[in-house]
This record gives sequence, C-alpha cells and structure tokens, in this order.
Amino acid sequence: MSTSQAIYAGWMEIQNIPVDDLARTQAEEAQVAALVTQYAGALYRVAYSVLRNSADAEDAVQEAFMRVLRHRDTLDEVRDHRVWLIRIVWNIVLDRKRRAKTRPETDDVAELARVLPCGGLSAEEIASAAQHHAKVLGCVEKLPAKERQVLMLSAFEELSSVEIAEVLGITESSVRSRLFRARILMAELLNHSRSPR
Amino acid sequence: MNSHPQSIPAQTSNPGSASSGSTSESASSAAEQTLRLLAQLRSPEGLEDRVIAGLHSAPRRGRILYWPRTLGGSGGAWIRGAAAAAIVFVVAGGGWGIYTRVQPAQPARVLVMPRAGAAGGFSGAGAMRTPETLHGPVVARPVTDKPIEPKTVKKSSARVVHLPLRALQSDANGAVASQPSATAAK
Repeated sequence: MSTSQAIYAGWMEIQNIPVDDLARTQAEEAQVAALVTQYAGALYRVAYSVLRNSADAEDAVQEAFMRVLRHRDTLDEVRDHRVWLIRIVWNIVLDRKRRAKTRPETDDVAELARVLPCGGLSAEEIASAAQHHAKVLGCVEKLPAKERQVLMLSAFEELSSVEIAEVLGITESSVRSRLFRARILMAELLNHSRSPR
Repeated sequence: MNSHPQSIPAQTSNPGSASSGSTSESASSAAEQTLRLLAQLRSPEGLEDRVIAGLHSAPRRGRILYWPRTLGGSGGAWIRGAAAAAIVFVVAGGGWGIYTRVQPAQPARVLVMPRAGAAGGFSGAGAMRTPETLHGPVVARPVTDKPIEPKTVKKSSARVVHLPLRALQSDANGAVASQPSATAAK
C-alpha cells in the first residue's frame, strides 16, 4: 500500500466514525419513538391516577420520555421497558405532587363525573356515582403514603405484584402486606365517613 | 377497555345494601374499583404525536468534548478512566507547580541569644551588648566656679644655655667647611 493509499484509508476510517454515530443515534431515537407509541397511554394513566390532572399527567409523560432520551445509551441494558418506564413516570409524578401540592381537578365532583366513564346511566345516577368516587378518592388521599402507593398501583391490572414491587423498589411480600393494610384502612375510612349519616 | 364503568355506579348507587359482615370488603372493593376506573381512563388523542414532537424539539445536551461512540460503550471504559486520570494528573501537577514556585513571605530575622548560664555553654559573664547606634556614655563634667586656665610658658622660666666661646667658633668653622662640599655635590 502506498503512502497516499494509507492516508486515504485513514481518512476514510476517520470519516466513518461520525456516520456510525449518526446511524446509531437515529436508531436509538427510533427505539424511543417506538417506546412512546407503545407505552405513552399506560404512562399517562399512571400519571393521571396520581396527579388527576390531564395537563400535568401529559407533562409527566413528556418528561419521562425526555429522561429516556437522555439515557438512551442504556436502553439495551433494560430488561423490562414497561416496568422501567412506569417506575420513571411514577417517580416523576410523586416528585411533582410533593412539590406542587396543587388541588387535583378531580376533587371537583362535576369534573369527576365528566372524566369517569358512566355509560348507560341517568344524570342522577351519574351524579351519585361521581359523589361516591370523590369520597373514595378523598379517603385514598388520607391513607399513609406507602399503603396509598401500593393501592393505586394495584389498580392497574397490567401490573402484577412482582412488577409493583419492582416499581416501588420493595419486596413482593412487602407489597402484599401493604396492600392488605391499605384495604383494611380504606374500609375503615369509608365506614367512618358513612357512619355520621 | 371500559368494562368496569357500568358495574361501579350500580354498586355505588346503593352503597348501604351490603351486609354488615362484608361491609369492609365491599368498601375496599368499591375503592379499588374507583381507582381501577381512573387507571383505565383513555389517554387523550394525539398524546404519542405530541410526545414525539416534544422529543424532537427538545434541546439536545451540549457536549463539551466530542466522544466517539466507538470509543465509548463498555469496551472503552478504561480509555475514559485513563483520560480522566490524565486530566486529574495535569491539574494536580499544575497546582503543585504553582504551590512550590510561590514562596511565602520571609519572617523577620531574630537573633536568638544563648541563654546565660546554660549548661555546657559559654556565658557572657554578665556583659551587655551596647548597640552601635548609640554614642558612648557621656561623662558629665562637674561644674566649677573658676574656669581652668591653660598653662602658659613663662619667659622667666626659659633656660639659657651658656656655651664657652671656643666651642661656638669651632662649630662655626665646621659649618663653613662643610658648605663647599655641599655645593660640590650639587
């Protein structure tokens, strides 16, 4: 190989590195976009169950995927993308709720009646159901944080107790015991709220 | 997706219908069904598109140093470590160089005199050093009424030596005789 050929070969090698990077970056962005398409709805529901505000929930989903994009280098190392994403958005919404302390829009019974699906019911039944849901959600807010988090995550049928444990960073037995305590406390709170009537 | 909503309001329309033994179970299940309703809400239309658009328009992280991906990853961890160690070495070396070149202000020089009477040393025998900047001790003269007059030579005390005449003549001849020799020498 002549000197000029060697130089050209070296240049070609140097030129190839950014091209590889560009292709890899595009592949990673495509991977993130696929994650958005697949899991954005689930993440929105998780965020909404905590924040109970559609705009805030959407912002939380956006922030979660921004974090994913920031750590896209480690996407291949993630075992279960769904649980990983739910954990990210769960931490985001808990942090937001802790900081903002805003009143959820679903504390309003009328808003709750509008948001929650009540197909095939009369207006009176819908209003009654909305009042009941508002009362239940008020009792949920009174639960201790650990029990409340497990109870809220258990409402997602797509999450098993093992996955809830993975999201919260605790053991599965802790999830079960907390869920048991949450149910007992919830029943007490609801009975206590009914008894004055 | 929305299979639960019809069952929840039916249960909540008459919440007191459950028996007392199963009151707590029905209450907790009602609470869980409310949460399940929230968990099954549909996401707003176009959420995915908005999120993707937001990701595209998000400001990218600025990179101070361009690090090729081929050098990155798990295989290039030792290269990163070596680079970090080199940077630390350069910074620490520069700091050390500056530290060693800058000399601190010299403290005032103080002569430490040996203690008088120290065991095994010489003693100054009680001598005190007098600084050179001071003049010597001035002895004050006693003031007297009569000033001391300087001694004058009295004419009366001047001695007159009487020599014999012959001796004077011989001296004069000798001086005359010695004069030609002095002129001849010139």
